[in-house]
Amino acid sequence: MKPDDPRLSNLHDIRKNIDAVDAQILRLLNLRFEYALQTRRFKAQGEDPEREEAVLRTARRRAGRLAGPEFAARIYEAILGESKALQKKDLKLAGFQGEPGAYSEAAVEAWNPAWVPVACREFGEVFEGVRQGRLDYGVIPVENSLEGPVTAANEMLIETDLSIVGGVRLPIHHCLLARPETDYREIRAVYSHPMALAQCRGFLARNGLEPRMVYDTAGAARKVAEDLSRTAAAIADERCAELYDLEILKADIEDHPSNATRFVVLAREPEEGDGDKCSIVFAVPDKAGALISLLKIFAEADINLTRIESRPLRKTPGQIAFLLDFQGSPRDGTVAAVLENVNRHSAMSRFLGCYKEIRP
Amino acid sequence: MDDLRLCGRFDRQKTVVPVGPLRFGESFIVIAGPCSVESERQLLTAAWMVKEAGAHALRGGAFKPRTSPYSFQGLGLAALKILDKARRETGLPIVTEVLDPRDVPWVSEFADMLQIGARNSQNFSLLKEAGKGYRPVLLKRGMYSTLKEWLSSAEYILSAGNPHLVLCERGIRTFEVYTRNTLDLSAVPAIRELSHLPVIVDPTHGTGRASLIEAMSLAATAAGADGLMIETHPHPEEALSDGDQALPPDRFRTLVRKARAIRECWERLE
Repeated sequence: MKPDDPRLSNLHDIRKNIDAVDAQILRLLNLRFEYALQTRRFKAQGEDPEREEAVLRTARRRAGRLAGPEFAARIYEAILGESKALQKKDLKLAGFQGEPGAYSEAAVEAWNPAWVPVACREFGEVFEGVRQGRLDYGVIPVENSLEGPVTAANEMLIETDLSIVGGVRLPIHHCLLARPETDYREIRAVYSHPMALAQCRGFLARNGLEPRMVYDTAGAARKVAEDLSRTAAAIADERCAELYDLEILKADIEDHPSNATRFVVLAREPEEGDGDKCSIVFAVPDKAGALISLLKIFAEADINLTRIESRPLRKTPGQIAFLLDFQGSPRDGTVAAVLENVNRHSAMSRFLGCYKEIRP
Repeated sequence: MDDLRLCGRFDRQKTVVPVGPLRFGESFIVIAGPCSVESERQLLTAAWMVKEAGAHALRGGAFKPRTSPYSFQGLGLAALKILDKARRETGLPIVTEVLDPRDVPWVSEFADMLQIGARNSQNFSLLKEAGKGYRPVLLKRGMYSTLKEWLSSAEYILSAGNPHLVLCERGIRTFEVYTRNTLDLSAVPAIRELSHLPVIVDPTHGTGRASLIEAMSLAATAAGADGLMIETHPHPEEALSDGDQALPPDRFRTLVRKARAIRECWERLE
């Protein structure tokens, strides 16, 4: 065919659709393996032949005309084989809020590349998953350098009985993503998580783009990938371009290059380690000078506080809980004494954990 | 020249226009690079060559105003991304042309200075849009513009609110056909009399012949121009546009060296 043959452009279009379907197949395959891994805790023995037979029967029945029952069964035998192989490996599942390609997923990978990130719709799902044992760990954002605290996450941290076993301070660089061949002049709406939209406020204003909120940056990328009008873009991590077959229209659109988000790693049990940072939650009695007298305990012991958040305690209205991060470790006698002192003087207090914070 | 309220000289100090780390009107600035961004490799090679020769800013067209619709029109967004990459790698500020008023905010995201070309020098909606923007503008003289018409175009940009403007003489149409245009070097001292804005010279379009560029660059420098804009290409014979007027690397290096010597001499004499 000559380069200007009109059939060539049809072929090009069809292949684009094929690429999009391939991206979806792989994404769904990974999701299926994740679920398979989550079943580990709830199965007495490793194998379940009855269930396998049922899966194969369903695959044959739903095969459709082109795939056909034989091919469908072959595919599913391969998938089940791979699932079993994965279940035998001691893979750790770490839940994060968002969809594949979210910054929280990048935080999981930064903390431990061997862990398997598991996408969860809400923070609650991450906390619940870890508590029930479906997930081994959870990774959630607590604070952004430009936008401040992640309110919903801090609220759950204050009420949780999970422990913090790690921290990640991840540099965040946002990209403007759109379907390939989108004319940037046609873009009107930009979808993303409210935090990401806020971090790119200046860019959006300069270019007259309308921000639209979505629960997750990667979810926004997926939404744009499925939008056929080519008038929308998403703000998300550059990894979403590859994942959702999108084009990076502009990289680094955050209003300040120092943009970074702090994440914490949650587990059921505290971990003994060589951490140098601690988090603690406490509530103070409702009387004058109660907070200052508690903070004085830290100041007098020469302990550096790195963050303080206050949230109303939902369980006991009228009381305010404080979330405090500080440098140090209870292995140090002074810190241990301070913690005991705080416990004695507060209405409620809970040590969330001592951990290391990495800066990838 | 009553209408030139903002760009007229009156008793104003000469304006200094900051572009990234550069200050037009204060020091002598050479903007150089290929006519068009053709590929990442071509532009990055050109960018390093421009930097090593001692030039200060990188030019490269992403949107090309070509006489024929069948000529290469530029790579658009892809070119802007390549220019952005060249800035990150070499640190050279980027000067690139904007053709469409709708593109002003978008090109501003990638470039350090917006060029308004000769063909658009009286595109008033584009001038107003650039005047509303936050990026410094390099305004070329139209090929049929008198000095007053050129300054009136400048007035459009200043009056819309953007004070960061540099003028660029690039030759005018005359009956002479040996040269592509006739480079009007008298514009340099004339603009100095009429306006407080910095003025640079583009001998590449002014002559359209690689063999004449060096002599005219030196003449422009001696006339007191605030800088030069030169087209240079790592391999002029392979250029997708205007290859006949692009200087190869060795001749470009010589030009920058000589122009700097003339400038030093001029500064001593001033």
